[in-house]
Amino acid sequence: MAKRKSDSSVIEPDMTPMIDIVFQLLTFFMIVSNFENTKADERVKLPQDALAKPPEVKPKDELVLNIGFIRNSAGAKVDPNPVLFYAGSDIPLDKIRPELEQEKRLFVLKAGSEKVLEDVAVIIRADADVPTGMVQDLIKTCQDIGYTKFSLKATQEE
Amino acid sequence: MKLTKRDSGPSKVEIPMAPMIDIVFQLLIFFMLNLKIVAPEGNFNINMPIGAPSQSSPEEPNLPDIKVGLKSDANGNLTQLTLGQKNLGNDDAAFDRLNAEILKIIVRPGNPLTKDVEVEIAADYELHYKYVIRAVSKCTGRIDPQTKQMVRYIEKIKFAPPGKPRGEA
Repeated sequence: MAKRKSDSSVIEPDMTPMIDIVFQLLTFFMIVSNFENTKADERVKLPQDALAKPPEVKPKDELVLNIGFIRNSAGAKVDPNPVLFYAGSDIPLDKIRPELEQEKRLFVLKAGSEKVLEDVAVIIRADADVPTGMVQDLIKTCQDIGYTKFSLKATQEE
Repeated sequence: MKLTKRDSGPSKVEIPMAPMIDIVFQLLIFFMLNLKIVAPEGNFNINMPIGAPSQSSPEEPNLPDIKVGLKSDANGNLTQLTLGQKNLGNDDAAFDRLNAEILKIIVRPGNPLTKDVEVEIAADYELHYKYVIRAVSKCTGRIDPQTKQMVRYIEKIKFAPPGKPRGEA
């Protein structure tokens, strides 16, 4: 009898509404978070443009090049020369050829033929203040290596 | 006692909720921490090769290539925007003028006669990249103020051969 008394004293709260809400939240955050943009580097302050629309057809392979400035926490440039943010290191723009060639080897190795480079889109995410000539030189270097498709990124204006 | 227990037993199976809630909360926290609000990004495709003369096929109608020039000072600020020989200025309105001039050239958006027209952008070495993007955008089209839809003007954009930095020129 004593045991029975203690059983009845346990209050079981109704969990159903809480679980409902928690699942709602979970679904929301799952949908909102996108893992696609992992190649984008936050340090690059892209130019803004109203006409920048996400591409309708996704390229099969893409090589994202993040070109920006090393900035301090206030957003001011520490170094006036832009660098390429590549795999955790900052490479000056005139010394990136080996990295681009290595990327090419990886693409060729994955596909098994040199033709794959025709399908690789080089996506250039350059900071709004990068000198245009440097971006053009970078494109030139990519072309010398064998890349053919290029696109420039901008954020959508509100 | 035995009897009552057996009666109540099979009628109600209690699923342990605690482990599930634990995991669900873990997932919830994971996705919450992963949330990063980023502005959506868009692309402008550019036609390559840089600088090499475009291979114009003989049957192509004789359309003038549109040349957009952007001049800058040593700090990379825009000093002059030109379309062909025409000077459009260097302020915000210059880009709108460029947009209007492009529309004049193609006559109407989606014109099949002018869909192969190319725009060549020649920019100074030091010019800030954002001006190039603006020029590219103004050549590509505009947002219709009524429908908020994009009206395409010219899709083929290419770059003139890169210039030399000021110090070397």
